[in-house]
Amino acid sequence: MGIPTIYPTGATLFDPGKCWSGYTLFIARETGCALVDMNGNVVHLWKGLHGFPTKPLPGGQVMGSLGVRNPRYGFMDYMDVVQVDWDGNVVWKFDRYEYIEDPGQEGMWMARQHHDYQREGSPVGYYAPGLAPLVEGGNTLILGHKDVKDPRISDKPLLDDVIYEVNWEGDITWEWVCSEHFDEMDFSEAARNALCRNPTMVVGKGELGDWMHMNSISTLGPNRWYDQGDERFHPDNIIWDGRQTNIIAITDKKSGRIIWQVGPDYDGSQALRELGWIIGQHHAHMIPRGLPGEGHILVFDNGGFSGYGSPNPGAPTGHNNALRDYSRIIEFDPITLKVIWQYSYEEAGFLPKMNNSDFYSPLISSAQRLPNGNTLITEGSSGRIFEVTKGFEIVWEYVSPYYGINKNANFVYRAYRVPYDWVPQLEKPNEKEIPKLDRSRFQVPGSVWKPEEGVVEVEGTLPYPGPQLCVSKVDEPEDG
Amino acid sequence: MTHQIYSATGCARCHITKRFMKENGMDYEEYDIKADGKDAFTKFYRAHRAEIYRDKDGVEFPVYTDGSVIRQGVSVVIGHLMAGNGLDGFIGRSTLHGEWIDGFNISGGDPSRARDLLQVMAYLKQNGLKILLATDGRNSEVLKAVHDENLGDRMVMEVKGPADLYEALAGEPIDPNALETSISLAAQFPTYQFYSIVAPMISKDGTIRYLTPEEIGETAKTIEKATGSKKHPYELRLFDLARAVDERLKTVEPLPSSALFKYRTAARRYMVMTEISK
Repeated sequence: MGIPTIYPTGATLFDPGKCWSGYTLFIARETGCALVDMNGNVVHLWKGLHGFPTKPLPGGQVMGSLGVRNPRYGFMDYMDVVQVDWDGNVVWKFDRYEYIEDPGQEGMWMARQHHDYQREGSPVGYYAPGLAPLVEGGNTLILGHKDVKDPRISDKPLLDDVIYEVNWEGDITWEWVCSEHFDEMDFSEAARNALCRNPTMVVGKGELGDWMHMNSISTLGPNRWYDQGDERFHPDNIIWDGRQTNIIAITDKKSGRIIWQVGPDYDGSQALRELGWIIGQHHAHMIPRGLPGEGHILVFDNGGFSGYGSPNPGAPTGHNNALRDYSRIIEFDPITLKVIWQYSYEEAGFLPKMNNSDFYSPLISSAQRLPNGNTLITEGSSGRIFEVTKGFEIVWEYVSPYYGINKNANFVYRAYRVPYDWVPQLEKPNEKEIPKLDRSRFQVPGSVWKPEEGVVEVEGTLPYPGPQLCVSKVDEPEDG
Repeated sequence: MTHQIYSATGCARCHITKRFMKENGMDYEEYDIKADGKDAFTKFYRAHRAEIYRDKDGVEFPVYTDGSVIRQGVSVVIGHLMAGNGLDGFIGRSTLHGEWIDGFNISGGDPSRARDLLQVMAYLKQNGLKILLATDGRNSEVLKAVHDENLGDRMVMEVKGPADLYEALAGEPIDPNALETSISLAAQFPTYQFYSIVAPMISKDGTIRYLTPEEIGETAKTIEKATGSKKHPYELRLFDLARAVDERLKTVEPLPSSALFKYRTAARRYMVMTEISK
């Protein structure tokens, strides 16, 4: 859907009785890390702070980054991971992953972090009872980049993903290099062929193949599957997803091996077919213990374009061969793969086929399960953050008013809802309901709409039927 | 004494060896295993199986014998023809094929035979081979001669540890100045790499312990001091207990690969490009 020239920004809807209220933390584009209350007031701004993403810590602290590597030489390489207190003081910093010398610049250490990290204590980086991230100490799991060559994947240089763990003192204590596990990932020969020819080349220092494009890492944390004896779900194991390959997988922390996986294909079993293709996904994680749906996998299944495989009309080379023009959030059982809860155009009430893409973010985005069973969704590409109940009612909505200068876009990578008591520096705000407005009665100054005037009756007209679209409900004609 | 060469049609290293013998007036009998020498070599191989190295790619040629000794590989054979056993320790089996040849350990031989070593290397270079050298820092004067005469194309130097631990690690001490000289020279070859093995060592009181992260940090610091730069390719490797020469070392617990992260962190203070060997 085309976005109109004018639409409201900030908080647009708030039902205090149905929300799990708190602050919402996100990167306000080209501004800093913003903390907004339920009425959209920016109650605190860590000006200039970067973050991919920023994450809340108890005590009014946040994690993020101080800057990004020059895009001419790097692709999404954040220089460091930092912990910043309420007053903007950097109280912890890690950057000593790789020493980088870019042309014309002094050599420097960089974390090369991108897309995610997790502080010990919290499996997923958002609120769950009894699973708060450590503030003074603890290890941090970081998703980073590493340039590699691996002829098994492609003859082209690769921008590989690494997960490494660093302790409070800054020592790296564990490292996992994605490409080293390529043979465990069940790529078909068609996928290997497309991947070999085009491992998703991105501009950077020369061109590098961002072949996996991991965008989420988190630990499983305590969970019932492990309690029941399934070693694949050891609390220390790491769940991650690769946007470009459609893979969601769990890495065994001890051996490094991939021990659970869905994707890259979703046609291999009845369970996978019923789960449906997960395409270009973000923020795949296990809902932490203590939250409704604990133990299930929650993922923002973007749709859009991704994957490697056989060519098709939308992907003549087989690169980005999986295509879909709408998003869905799915919560599914990691054992049976059965979908437990879903939110897509249908649950949002949009007209199938005609308005599928009215809920759609082909890139970025996230989903956070809240203690009352609601889900905070970041529909990232349009900068929309909203809270939806289990029954699909939107009870809070916010549209980022931060568009930045470099690009006319208000996108939000990932937002987090923060409990009020994680921010002791502030008094709990007064919450004011924002009722849902009637769009047909919502006009801007200068616009005149008086539907009751100038009306004449036409003799002989029939009532309007439901919508009839230029598509068939079934793909094949029925027999006979 | 009859020189016998077992060769293979198309084997460039056999050709170099035969050329050397011709140029030096050495008559020889040749058995080409891809022609009519196949049966002769099969018979010879079966009789001397234990003395002929064979890897997954097969037997490396040329194989030489004079009836009393067997030598294999172009550098070893020419070294033997030139200096008898005098180059033992300097020249060993090459694991590389094509234009590259290795097996040259500068620190492993008798430095008084350095001139013979240089001649062997020079001959191989003249015949189009590229030479990969190894050293652990000992015989720095030999390394200097190799460097000054442009005989090495790539240097891989094992810096076993700080100079004061060399005796415990290598069985004999090293002059700290010689170690720094070798490090400095190693960094001047067309391509090079430093590495250290996180190895166990036997202290004077008989106790066995691994090098510590701090000692690896000191090793990296030694490289920085010798070269004036923090930016050299430097790799850390796990010790392979199965290959320990001293049986006592086989009694220690193997280090997990994850243990190397602390060593890498310590080394990166002085060598920023330190990586863990995969």
